Amino acid sequence: MSVRRRRSIFDLLREYIEEIEALTDEIFERVTEKPSWDISSQSLEPLCDVHVSHDRVIVTADLPKADPESIRISSIRDDLIEITAKMRVKIRFEDLGVSHRRGEFTCFCCRVPLPVPVDISGAKVRYVKGILEITLPRKRGYEIKIE
Amino acid sequence: MGINNEIKIVEIRDISEGLTVVCGLPDVGLVGVIAATHIISKLNLREAAYVETDLFPPVIILEGGLPKSPVRIFEGGGIAVLTSEIAIPSDTLYPLVRSIVDWVWRKKAEKVFVLSGIPVPNRHEIEKVRVFGAASDENMLKTLKDNEVEIIERGFIVGPQALILKYCMDKKIPAAALLAETFYNYPDPEASSMVIQTLNRIININVDVSELIERGEEVRLAMRDMMRRTQAELAKIKKSHEYDVPSFYIR
Repeated sequence: MSVRRRRSIFDLLREYIEEIEALTDEIFERVTEKPSWDISSQSLEPLCDVHVSHDRVIVTADLPKADPESIRISSIRDDLIEITAKMRVKIRFEDLGVSHRRGEFTCFCCRVPLPVPVDISGAKVRYVKGILEITLPRKRGYEIKIE
Repeated sequence: MGINNEIKIVEIRDISEGLTVVCGLPDVGLVGVIAATHIISKLNLREAAYVETDLFPPVIILEGGLPKSPVRIFEGGGIAVLTSEIAIPSDTLYPLVRSIVDWVWRKKAEKVFVLSGIPVPNRHEIEKVRVFGAASDENMLKTLKDNEVEIIERGFIVGPQALILKYCMDKKIPAAALLAETFYNYPDPEASSMVIQTLNRIININVDVSELIERGEEVRLAMRDMMRRTQAELAKIKKSHEYDVPSFYIR
């Protein structure tokens, strides 16, 4: 008779964490293995960050040299937003110390996937020291009443 | 021929003994890298040594069309500054820091300073960035306190600064880490200016930081790609450990 060893909850958790780590590595590699600029649209992809708390999602983006008046935020889906902003000045590759590429950049553009759905109509936006901060309330489902 | 696992520091000119060594390697906010390159530029330090290894990706940096190692040491006036132009692959951090500290020990360096940051989630709301310190021995701790650097009495630090402090302690090399409050994943020239000003006071140098502040937006634009790659490595070394509260401590 073969002895079947049951996997403990810790084994399952470890496997789950390993899978998530492998996926994170893959996503990072996919993100970093393409240029952070696009000559055809003259856009730079800004650095972004997403923080999820129990009731809101906070998205930040680093937008140096952006014109604050030109910042636009729109929702593509309830878990995907687009951020665009024009720059106050054109940036050429030469300005970044690169002489062998040709092209200039006039705006920032990125799509930020959110891990949970949000209600964009309740968004609050701040632009502090060149950092854009968007606070989005999380979508709520049915609330269970405790009797 | 297979991959050589060695990491060597190759000197390209004579480097005197008894140096003060400043390390600025990629980490949160790229505080150390921005600070190190600014110091190199302002003090007109000359390239003196480079890191030679097969363990990094096959990358060179071209300068005037000629190949250079992306991890180099610049020296002048008794100060040597180590910095990198690529994100350091997380699995090479241990052997890299060991070779650096061995080199520092062979050069009989007087002191080592590691410049970097501590991530704070609300960094963009902070008006006055604080610089914290930690050291490899009591004397260096006293030096930090004498220069009004707030000591991290208890907590985790992760990354090059953690290993440099530990290996320097093992080899009895006086070392200190100067860590400014910073963004986790946005280049932070303002935090770099704060660590430079703290270093200015401690080792009595005079590196002007006004340009770093004035041209801060340009620096942030130029450092985007390095920050992106560094962020991927920070996740692998579990940098978020620095947010953790250490286990219960009975005072």
